Amino acid sequence: MSRSTEKLEALESGGETLWRTQYYEPAIAEQGERKTRFQTQSLRWDIKPLYTQADLDAIGFDPDKDLGLPGTYPYTRETRPAGYRGDLWAMTQVSGFGCAEDSAKRWEYMVNQGLDSIIVEYDLPTTNGYDSDNPLCRGEVGRAGMALDTLQDMEDALNFPLEKLKNITSVCNAPQPVNLAMLIKALQRKGKKLEDIRLMMPNTILVEYTCVGRYIYPPKHGLRLACDVIEYCMTHHKNWMPLNIVGAQIYAARGNPVQEIAYSFAMARAYIDELLTRGHDINDVAPMVSFITGIDMDFFEAIGKLRAYRKVWARLMKETYGATAEEALKLRLMSSPGTMSMALQQPLNNIARLGIEMLACALGGGAHTINTPLYDEAHALPSEDAITIGANIHHIVAQETGVADTIDPLAGSYYVEYMTKRLEDAVFEEMAKIEAMGGALGALEAGYFQSELAEEQIAMNSDFHSGERKFVGVNYLVKKDEKREIEIFRHDEESEARQIERLNRIKSQRDNAAVERVLEKVREAARGNTNMVEPMLEAVELYATHGELCDAMRDVFGEYDPNALTPTL
Amino acid sequence: MTQPIRILLAKIGLDTHTIGITVLAKELRDRGFEVIFSGLKQTPEKVAHAALQEDVDVIGVSCLSGGHMTHLKVLAEKMKEMGLDDRILIVGGVVPEEDVEPLKALGVDQVFTMGANMDDIAAFLRSAVSV
Repeated sequence: MSRSTEKLEALESGGETLWRTQYYEPAIAEQGERKTRFQTQSLRWDIKPLYTQADLDAIGFDPDKDLGLPGTYPYTRETRPAGYRGDLWAMTQVSGFGCAEDSAKRWEYMVNQGLDSIIVEYDLPTTNGYDSDNPLCRGEVGRAGMALDTLQDMEDALNFPLEKLKNITSVCNAPQPVNLAMLIKALQRKGKKLEDIRLMMPNTILVEYTCVGRYIYPPKHGLRLACDVIEYCMTHHKNWMPLNIVGAQIYAARGNPVQEIAYSFAMARAYIDELLTRGHDINDVAPMVSFITGIDMDFFEAIGKLRAYRKVWARLMKETYGATAEEALKLRLMSSPGTMSMALQQPLNNIARLGIEMLACALGGGAHTINTPLYDEAHALPSEDAITIGANIHHIVAQETGVADTIDPLAGSYYVEYMTKRLEDAVFEEMAKIEAMGGALGALEAGYFQSELAEEQIAMNSDFHSGERKFVGVNYLVKKDEKREIEIFRHDEESEARQIERLNRIKSQRDNAAVERVLEKVREAARGNTNMVEPMLEAVELYATHGELCDAMRDVFGEYDPNALTPTL
Repeated sequence: MTQPIRILLAKIGLDTHTIGITVLAKELRDRGFEVIFSGLKQTPEKVAHAALQEDVDVIGVSCLSGGHMTHLKVLAEKMKEMGLDDRILIVGGVVPEEDVEPLKALGVDQVFTMGANMDDIAAFLRSAVSV
């Protein structure tokens, strides 16, 4: 070795510039670097060849103030003191299709594959507030999720070993009060103790207006219904999680990590502010709020994002809201390996991607639950093979790698801390911008979220098109004339007719006059300002249908114009 | 070419995934196409009427819910009824390989799925419309 001791000493005293000129530049002098620009994947932040203490000093990183210890403010190193040494994350998957009994059978299969939680997805007629026999729903009943019309459907859906689950999530955002009432009544009729069940509801209507589209009523009514659900659970079911803001959908709309966290927190503030106006205390409201994040392939963006999420939340709750209770300061998070990184082409490659993203989730920490998208995500609803492998990926990462055996193992890495701190600063800056627009509702009405996301969608498409961003099998190492090599799930085309028949049977057997009376009660409640969950509880027991109850609210609230959402088209 | 190609991009059914259609609208406009958007949550009937009214050369339907066979069957029938079956009809979204031939049998000219190249789509439309 010809390097002199003098040079090494200079390096030890922090001479990054010296290293650059004397070591790095000579090393690349002949051939140059492999790329003209090194940038993070979605934020497109320049990446230096090396990070040192000098980079942390330059952005004002202070380990005492910025890190803390696991379970202590600002929670950068973990919200739970024992991390994953105490308990592993709950392992969940999104599922639901066909009629209630089809879904129940599938959920039982999932539990038998080693999953301990389930995210129930309903079909588009349900999430858009229609019954299965509505002409607008032809071809969609039971297709992208489970069909749900009456309490009977919910009871039949819950015919599987529910008590084995750590948590169950029910995704029905716009009609959440109807859905909550059906869940409560179905669980009670099945003789379940409600306090033994851990129910989560995204109830994330502001995300629907922003980028998903399963809304019914104008935003201010949507927000009211969501807050009614939260308030009802605060009073009656304190261990439930009635608001999970699905940042993973903002990610799926191509939002970058800064946008995902800033938009999610701005939305959280809209619900929180409404509940504070109703007279609740921040220390009671904040623990009702949780988040779901989408984790993509850029490993360090992902890990920085997970760490910044919990730190920014703690600071926001403390500095802006004056929260003091620990539970109010601790972020509740579910993380989800990224649906958008699942390629249609050469789908088995997605298993590798899922493993890497799951590893990022485990290393970044903070999540009580991790979801598993599946290798056939881009093709159809999951096959049984994909479910089994998805479940195994959790166990491989959790049990075979050792990453869950110490808490926040990447802390202190110059690059990881740099990323975390830079993300934190950028999120605060973006949140201030949204606040100046009147918060999430103002930004939504101005079309800000929608047009910013459209810009990201277009930019990312250019990155793929130019080859700047490589996607194996899609724009790189492409297989010519590829034929699908996996078996995929096929929808049972008969289920729509079966569901409509079920609905007709229930309607012919119920007391229609009582249903009419209760629908009027629902309209009355909608016109006033009492909690909408109460009349729903009475209505679902009389077999008023999901669509009828949504219609009763349509009569009062009106409908949201969908094209307000697509300013960029 | 003197006249730009006019295309109606449509979302049929309750599915509101819009990334593909947003990117396609922008890319086609950049390539000189005239793009009209149907709005979200449309019925096949409404889309056929809009196509007639706007006198478009191409209808592009985006569907990611899996309901494409149902929606395209009705749309193709309506197009025939309204004398629009000479227009180019393309479909994009989540469409399994097995459904491509049945869609073509209904009158769909081409299907584009995830990863489709924007240059290829534009080139296909130019040659299909000029025939």
